[in-house]
Amino acid sequence: MRNGAHMTSFAPAGAPRRWMPVLAAGLSRGEYARSLFRRLACLTAVLLTAIWALSGQGYFWPAWAWLGLAVPVLLDFTANWAWRHERGPVRRVACVWALVSVAAVILLLTWLLTWLLAGVHEFWPAWALLGLATAGSAYSLVALHDRVLVARGRRALRARIDMLTRTRRQAVDAQAAELRRIERDLHDGAQARLVALTLQLGRAEMRVDDQPEIRRLIREAQNEAHHAIAELRDLARGIVPPLLADRGLVAAVESLAARYGLGTSIHTDTRRTHPPAVESAAYFVVAEALTNTAKHAQARHSWVSMTDEHRALVVVVGDDGRGGADPDGSGLAGLRARVEALDGRLSVESAHSAGTTVKVSIPCG
Amino acid sequence: MRVVIAEDLALLREGLVALLRENGIDVVAQAEDGPGLLRAIAGHEPDLAIVDVRLPPTFSDEGLRAAIEARRRQPALGVLVLSQYVETAYASELIGENTAGIGYLLKERIGDVRAFLDALTRVADGGTVLDRQVVTQLLVPRDGSTGALASLTARERDVLELMAEGRSNTAIAENLVVTPGAVEKHITNIFSKLDLPACDDDHRRVLAVLAYLRVAA
Repeated sequence: MRNGAHMTSFAPAGAPRRWMPVLAAGLSRGEYARSLFRRLACLTAVLLTAIWALSGQGYFWPAWAWLGLAVPVLLDFTANWAWRHERGPVRRVACVWALVSVAAVILLLTWLLTWLLAGVHEFWPAWALLGLATAGSAYSLVALHDRVLVARGRRALRARIDMLTRTRRQAVDAQAAELRRIERDLHDGAQARLVALTLQLGRAEMRVDDQPEIRRLIREAQNEAHHAIAELRDLARGIVPPLLADRGLVAAVESLAARYGLGTSIHTDTRRTHPPAVESAAYFVVAEALTNTAKHAQARHSWVSMTDEHRALVVVVGDDGRGGADPDGSGLAGLRARVEALDGRLSVESAHSAGTTVKVSIPCG
Repeated sequence: MRVVIAEDLALLREGLVALLRENGIDVVAQAEDGPGLLRAIAGHEPDLAIVDVRLPPTFSDEGLRAAIEARRRQPALGVLVLSQYVETAYASELIGENTAGIGYLLKERIGDVRAFLDALTRVADGGTVLDRQVVTQLLVPRDGSTGALASLTARERDVLELMAEGRSNTAIAENLVVTPGAVEKHITNIFSKLDLPACDDDHRRVLAVLAYLRVAA
C-alpha cells in the first residue's frame, strides 16, 4: 500500500507506471529521485558543515543550509501523507494542513536558529503560528461542514435502525410469547371448563336413564359443548400446534410431514432452541409448502431440510413436481410477511416442470 | 377396578373422581404431576392409570412420558391417556411395542359416560382404545383428495373410527343406529378395501387397523 501511495503521489493521473525501468530495489522513478535527493541533501549538509569546520569555524552558517535542505524533504513527507487521504474535501483539508505544518516547522526552526545563533529571545513566530492554525481550522470547518453533518445524520440513522430492529424483534417475540400464553390459557381455562361441563352433563344423563326427553336435551347440550371444544382446539392449533409447543420444531415438522402421506424425506441439523416466533414461522412455512405440494405439485418426492447456518435457521421445502407455483400466492405472501418481520427471507423457485423449492432463512440472535 | 388418576386441573380431577366413584370404580389415588403418578402406581398397584398428557412442571408431554415410564415398570398396568388434542406421534409412542392395555382418548369423550366406562374396562382388561381422531389424522391427508381413505364411504369411515376405539359390533351398531348385520357388512368392505386380514376379535381388529395406520404413517 505504502509503495502504491508513493507512486500515485507522483503519477496522480493514472495507473502506476510499472513499465518504467525500476532503478534500484523495486523503486519507481519518483521514489528513486526522492531517495537520491534525501541522500544528496544529507551529503551536502555534512560537506557544508565540514567546510565550515575547516574554514576556521566562527558563525555557524551551515545551520541555515540545513534548514534550506530540510524544507523540501519535509514538504515531500507531508505531501505524501496528504495524498493518502480519499479524494475530495478530505484530501484538500489534508493538503492545507500539510502546508500549514511545513510553514509552522520552518517558522519554529528559524526562530530556534535566531535564538541560538543571534540570541533573539523574543518568541516572534507566535502570531504567525496562531494565524496559520486559525486559517487551517477555518478552511477545515468550511470544507468538512457538510461531511460532519452527513456523518452525524448517518450515525443518528444507524442508531434509529438499530433501535427499530431491536424493538421490532422484541414486539414479535412478545407477540409469540403472548400467543403461547393464550394457547395455554385456552387449554387450562375455557377448554378445561367445557370438558368439565360435558363431564357433569354426562353424570346428569346417567341419572335420568328413564326420561328420554331429558336425556335428549342433555345430549344436545353435550353436542354444543363438543362443537365449542372442537372450535377452541382448532383455534389453539392455529396459534401453536401442540406438538410444536410441547416438543419443538423438529418433532412438529416430522409429524406434519407424516400426516401428508407424501413420503417426505426430512433432514434436520439444528441443535439450537430457537425463539418461539422463529419456530412458529418456520413451522407454518413448512405446513403451507407441503399443503401446496400435496394439492398442486403431483410430485413423486418431496423433502424438508432444516439447518443452522451462520446464526440463522435455514428451512428448505422442495418437491420434484410440475412447478409453476405463484411466489406471491396468498398463502406464501402471508408467510413472507411473517418471515420478513423476523428479518428473514423467503424465496420460491418454481420453474415450469422443474419442481418447487421454498427456502426460508431466519436470523436467530 | 382400582384406578389412579393424574390430572393437574382440580376441576377436572374432582369431576372425574366423582364420576368414577358413582359408577362403582375404586379411585385409589390422585396425582398432580408425573413423579406423583409414578409414586401412586408404586404404592397402590392399580389396574388402570388415567393420565393427562400435559402435566406440571413442563406442561408439555410430561404425562405421556410418565405413562410410558409407568408401563415400563409395570407392563400389566392399563394406561388411558387423556388429552385435549390428538397427536398421532404420541399415539405411536404410547403404543410402542406393547399394545395391550393402552388407551388414548380426547378428554371430551368422558361426556359419553357409558362409552367412557366401557373404554376404561377394555383398557384395564388389556384392550387397545384409540380415539377416532387418531384415525382421522392418519388417514385423511390435508388436501382431502388422495389417500387410502378415499376408497371408503363416509359410513365405512365412521365404522373404522369406532373400530379403532376397540368397540364391539353391537356397540358400533348402537352408536351409528344401524343393525349389527349392516355393521358386519361395512367391516368386511373396509377390510377388503384396505387389504387387511379379516378377524372377529375386537382387540385383534384394533391391532389390524393399527398395523395399517403404521404403514400409512
